[in-house]
Amino acid sequence: MPEWLFKKDNYIPEKDSVNFINKSILSILNILTRFKLQSNAKADKLGVNDLIKLISTLVLIIFVSLSKNFTYILIADIFLLMLINFLSIDEIKYVLKVSFVMAAITLIILLPSIFLGYGNNALMITLKVFATVGFVNILSYVTKWNDLLGALKVFKVPDMFIFVLDITIKYIIVLGEFSLNLAYALKLRSVGKSISKSTSLSGIVGTMFIKSKELSEEMYGAMECRGFTGEYRVYKKFKFKLADYICIIVIAAFILAYFYLDRL
Amino acid sequence: MHIPDNYLSPSTCAVMGAVMVPIWTRAVKKVKAEMTKKKMPLMGIGAALSFLTMMFNIPLPGGTSGHAVGGTLLAILLGPEAACISITIALLIQALLFGDGGILAFAANSFNMAFLMPFVGFYIYKFLKKSFKSRKGENISAFIASYIGINAAALFAAIEFGLQPLLFKDAFGMPLYSPYPLSITIPSMLLPHLLIAGVVEGIITVGVLSFIKKVSPEIIYEGSSKKMRPIYALLIALICLSPLGLLATGTAFGEWSAEEIAAVTLGGKALGFIPKGMENGFSLSPLMHNYSVKGLSGSLGYILSAVAGASILLIVFRIVASMRKDIKN
Repeated sequence: MPEWLFKKDNYIPEKDSVNFINKSILSILNILTRFKLQSNAKADKLGVNDLIKLISTLVLIIFVSLSKNFTYILIADIFLLMLINFLSIDEIKYVLKVSFVMAAITLIILLPSIFLGYGNNALMITLKVFATVGFVNILSYVTKWNDLLGALKVFKVPDMFIFVLDITIKYIIVLGEFSLNLAYALKLRSVGKSISKSTSLSGIVGTMFIKSKELSEEMYGAMECRGFTGEYRVYKKFKFKLADYICIIVIAAFILAYFYLDRL
Repeated sequence: MHIPDNYLSPSTCAVMGAVMVPIWTRAVKKVKAEMTKKKMPLMGIGAALSFLTMMFNIPLPGGTSGHAVGGTLLAILLGPEAACISITIALLIQALLFGDGGILAFAANSFNMAFLMPFVGFYIYKFLKKSFKSRKGENISAFIASYIGINAAALFAAIEFGLQPLLFKDAFGMPLYSPYPLSITIPSMLLPHLLIAGVVEGIITVGVLSFIKKVSPEIIYEGSSKKMRPIYALLIALICLSPLGLLATGTAFGEWSAEEIAAVTLGGKALGFIPKGMENGFSLSPLMHNYSVKGLSGSLGYILSAVAGASILLIVFRIVASMRKDIKN
C-alpha cells in the first residue's frame, strides 16, 4: 500500500458559500416536474377542443393587447378570473403567481412614467399584462402540449417547425434527466472550496452538447429506418361538441365587444 | 346597511377597529384549530353566497333600499367564527373593489354584519332549535334567528350613525359626519328592517337551508360533499339574477353620497347642508364603483361585478385551504 494511505489526515473541508450546484439541480428538477406533470395532464373539465382553445387564446391575447378601452380589459380580466376557478388548486396557485409577478414587474417598469406624470395608462397596461399572461398559462395547463401541435398544423405552420417543437418537448425531458445525473455526480464529488467546481459546471454543458449530438444522429437513423420523410400528418379529426360551440360564441362575443367598445 | 366613508368620525372608526381586532383574532384561531382542509372551500362558497345576497337590493318604505346579508345562514352552515371570517372577506372585497361600504368604516361594517349578525343569529338558532325539536321547527327557528340577527345589525348601525351628531360637532354646533340623531336614525333603519328586510332575510335563510338539506345534506354535518354541483348551480343562478337588484332605485339609508345628502328629506324637512366631514373627507375611487362599469349598461355591469366578486372569493378561500396543513381529527 502506498505511504500516503497510512498517514493520518486531519482534513476538515471548508464550507463553501457558493451554492450554485444545488440551485442548478433544483431548477432542473423544477423544469422536469413541469414537463412531466403536463404530459400526465388529465383532460380539462370544460372538454373544449384543443384547436378551439388555441384559437380562443390567440384571439383573446390579440384583442386585449389591441384594446384602448379600459372596460374591455376589465371584462377580459373578469373572464380570466372566472376561468381560473375551473382549474385545480395547484394550477390556480401557479397561474396566479406568474400573472401577479409579471403584472408587478410591469408596474415597476412603469413607475418612472407614473412619476413623470404620464401615468394614465399604467393601470391599463398592468391589467393587460395580467390578462394575457393569465390566458397563456391557463392554455398551457388545460392542454397537453403535444395536442397543441396537432392544432398548429391546422394553421398551416410548416412541418419543420412542428417537428422541431415536437422533438424539443420530448428531448427536454430526456436531456434534462441526463444533465440531472451529471449534476448529482458533480455534487457528490465536490468537497470543500475549489475553483474547479465552477469550471466543472461548464463541463456539464459541454457533455450535454456532445450527448445531444449523439442522440440526434441516432434518432435520425431510427426515424429514417421507419420511413419518416419529413412530413407531419395529423390524423386526429377535431370533433365539435356543445362546449366548443359555447366557446366559439363567447369568443365571437369578445370580438364584437372589442369593436363595440373601441368605438366609444 | 353598509356604512360609507365619512359618515363615522375617525375616532369612531378607530374604536370599532379596536373592538374588532380581538374578535377577528379569536375567530381566526378557532377556524385554524377546527376547520379541516376540506371544509375551507365551503367558506369561500359561503362568502360568495353572502356577497351575491348583498347585491339584491330590496325597495323599502321611505324611498330607500336595503338588502339581506345571509349572516345567520352562514353561521348555521359553517359555525359563527367561520361565518365571521367569510363575511369579513366579502365586505373587504366590496369595500376595496366596488366602493360599497367605506374603507375607514370597514371595522364598523364588520362589527355589524360579520360579528353581530352571525353570532346573535347562531345562538338564538341553537336555543330555539332545542325548544322546537321538529323538522319544521328547525325552519322556524332559522327564520326567527336570522330575523333577529339582521335587526340587531341594523340597530347597531343606526346607533353608530346616531351617535355622530351627539359627539362630533364643529364650532357652530353643526354635525361633522352623519347628521341625523338617534331619534331619527333608529326608527329609519329599524322599521324597514323589521317590516321587510328582516322577513326577506328570514325567507332567504330558510330557503337556502332547505335547498342545501335537500341536495347535499352532508355539508351541514361533515362539511364536504360529493354533490357540490347544485350549490355551484345556485351561485350561477344568483349571478344571472343579480340585475334584479338594480330595480330598487333608492339609495339605502345612510349610503348617500356627499352630493345627495343635502337634498335628503327626513323627518319632514330637507337636510339642506353637507356636513363638513363629508365634503373634505377621505375618498378612494375603486375599480368598479357601485357595481357599474363605464360604457356598459347597468345590468351588464352588475353581472360582471357579481362574477368578479364571486370568483375572487372562491379563489381566495381555495388558496387558503390549500396552504393549510390538515389538522389531525
